[in-house]
Amino acid sequence: MTTDEAVGEGSRARRLGGHLVLGVLSLLCAFPVYWLYATSLRAPEDVYSLSVLPWPLSTASYAEAFATSDVLGMLLNTGVVAVLSALGQLLIALLAAYAFAAWRFPFRRLLYLLFVGTWLVPFQATMLPNYVLLSRLGLLETLAGVIIPTLCSALGVLLLREHLNGFPKELLDAARMDGRSSWSTLWTVVVPALRPALAALGILLAITAWNEYFWPAMVLQRSNAVVQLGLRSFLGTEGNDWGPLMAMAGLACLPVFVLYLVLQRHIVNAFVRSGLK
Amino acid sequence: MRRSLPALASAVALTLATSACGLGSTGDGGGAVSRAPELDPGQQVSIVFESYNFGQAGAWTDTFTELIAAFEQEHPNISVTAQKPQGNSANPATDTISSLQSQLSAGSPPDVAQLGFSDLDFTVNELGALPLDDLVGKDTVQANFDGERHAYAPPARTLGDWEGKTYGVPFVFSTPMLYLNTKLFADAGLDARRPPRTWEEVRDAARAIQQRTGKDGAYVDCLTKAAKDWCFQALVRSQGGTVLSEDRSRLTFAEQPAVEVVRSMQEMVREGVMPNRTQMQAVDAFARGDLGMILESSAIQGTFLKGAGQDWELGAAPMPGFGDATPVPTNSGAALFVFSQDQAKQRAAWELIRFLTSERAYTTIATKIGYLPLRTGLVEDPEGLADWAARNPYLEPNLEQLEHLEPWVSMPGPSYLRIRDGLMQAVENAVFQGADPAESLRSAQRDATALVPGGDK
Repeated sequence: MTTDEAVGEGSRARRLGGHLVLGVLSLLCAFPVYWLYATSLRAPEDVYSLSVLPWPLSTASYAEAFATSDVLGMLLNTGVVAVLSALGQLLIALLAAYAFAAWRFPFRRLLYLLFVGTWLVPFQATMLPNYVLLSRLGLLETLAGVIIPTLCSALGVLLLREHLNGFPKELLDAARMDGRSSWSTLWTVVVPALRPALAALGILLAITAWNEYFWPAMVLQRSNAVVQLGLRSFLGTEGNDWGPLMAMAGLACLPVFVLYLVLQRHIVNAFVRSGLK
Repeated sequence: MRRSLPALASAVALTLATSACGLGSTGDGGGAVSRAPELDPGQQVSIVFESYNFGQAGAWTDTFTELIAAFEQEHPNISVTAQKPQGNSANPATDTISSLQSQLSAGSPPDVAQLGFSDLDFTVNELGALPLDDLVGKDTVQANFDGERHAYAPPARTLGDWEGKTYGVPFVFSTPMLYLNTKLFADAGLDARRPPRTWEEVRDAARAIQQRTGKDGAYVDCLTKAAKDWCFQALVRSQGGTVLSEDRSRLTFAEQPAVEVVRSMQEMVREGVMPNRTQMQAVDAFARGDLGMILESSAIQGTFLKGAGQDWELGAAPMPGFGDATPVPTNSGAALFVFSQDQAKQRAAWELIRFLTSERAYTTIATKIGYLPLRTGLVEDPEGLADWAARNPYLEPNLEQLEHLEPWVSMPGPSYLRIRDGLMQAVENAVFQGADPAESLRSAQRDATALVPGGDK
């Protein structure tokens, strides 16, 4: 009895300790985000204040951000980039993963490895050739220039192929015996079954595209068309305008927060099921 | 890292682009160009104006957009496309030169560009800015400086000159000012109406503030690589030294005056009266009211006034000196240069420069952005900026030190930025990281000498 109690207490203490550590870590992670919103809600004269609670609350920084920048236009442009980039990557990844999983052809394994191997090439290494190509195509300073080079995602191919490998081959065979073409099989059999994985991957790709700073900064050197670049317009030689900067950064985070909160179960499930964590 | 990666990437891209196109040998500083004829009234011309002011939202972009619209109304035959420098730095002012280089490589530079004074040598000799004296005539250039009623302040007229010719018309301008937190002064029993005039007095006041209020004493934003060398040059000149010889062939920043400046600043850090902070931390600490004094560009006044709000009051004094010697401030800021290859565009570019440096434009710029007008007479003109000046108590110390102003000397040769960064890194290492001032400056000067044209011979 006493031993049981001791074990129970020990594990409770361990659990408590674990929760404490996790709690502290969560606070550490959440604090910068909290500080961002706290600063954005301070009155302009309190922007430099170090008080933990922003009081009195003020929306002046948001008003200034809207008055001095085309915030809605930037959010819309960023949304377009995120959605088109995610959809494009999904489509290409789906077709490639379907080919790798459902078809047998020479060098299939090698090609797959090469494909996935592109994941290991850092973006910085392909950046310059991409930039030069865009320049020749006349796509610099355009949203298309931001989107097109991101359309092929090795991560997407890898993830969807893992899902398709777990897909019952009998279903594909049955579809073929029904006389369906492979194109029709893809859209009527495979895609409906893959919907959760596609949704999760789409969300991840959209969030990544939304948050991207580096590539848009390379392509859109002169305009602040997307919100991550628009933030720069509050930094300058004559000092940084922290209030509207934090307000715009806060607004830029909101769509991602909402998307994640609504669809977080899909995201976690897809990764658990694919075996990638 | 996020900020350094794009910077690195653009540097690599730029290096490739410029090396491929042989840029760096385009310069023929001092070479004459032919006169650009006046435009016919019906002659339609479109030009591009590149300014880092268009990269900053709010008063900067709005004011310049308003001025361009007014210019186009006054010159219906000239249309102006305004743009910020291309680049991916957070601060567009740091992209000006690289942006111009890549556009020159592509053969399509902007017609008018706003560039900093520290880039003057490179702008004239490597980028090939056009001599305005040849382009529109020396008399015309001087007549513009004289203005209709208010002339340029005499020290400001020649800031864009190179070997006797005007290449850039000085446009915006700031001087190093000693900003004070008058509340902390009062709390420490000091009189902010009698601000420190020497660095010894700054040190005493900083010590008093620190001991009696618990806040930091004084910060000099001239001692880090991020601050560049503009006001470090002011400190060295106030001590009787220079950073570059008169004939621009020899670096002189390891000589005794500069070493003494660095040593005195290092002692303030060692004593704890100057906080060991980065530029941005110090500016924010002052704006928050946690720092007694800061030597800072007059252009940043708006940030401090916003930070002060109701909590504390901002005071300002001219830059302090060493002992009894008169302090010698240097100016920061930028001038307008012409790069057009087409004669009609060259003339239109000059018209734009003339408009942007007119009394009317300076009145708009001073009231809306707060820059000091280079036509200083405007501040006494009831039809000009007299009202604005009366409401701006910080103007007087700024104008006061214009009399002793000396130009910010640009470092020589194509590697001028490496020379400047090497110097300021050595200063930073000594002041904030405890390196020996003499040794640190000597070593930086030795390394940089090879970068001075003809310096390794």
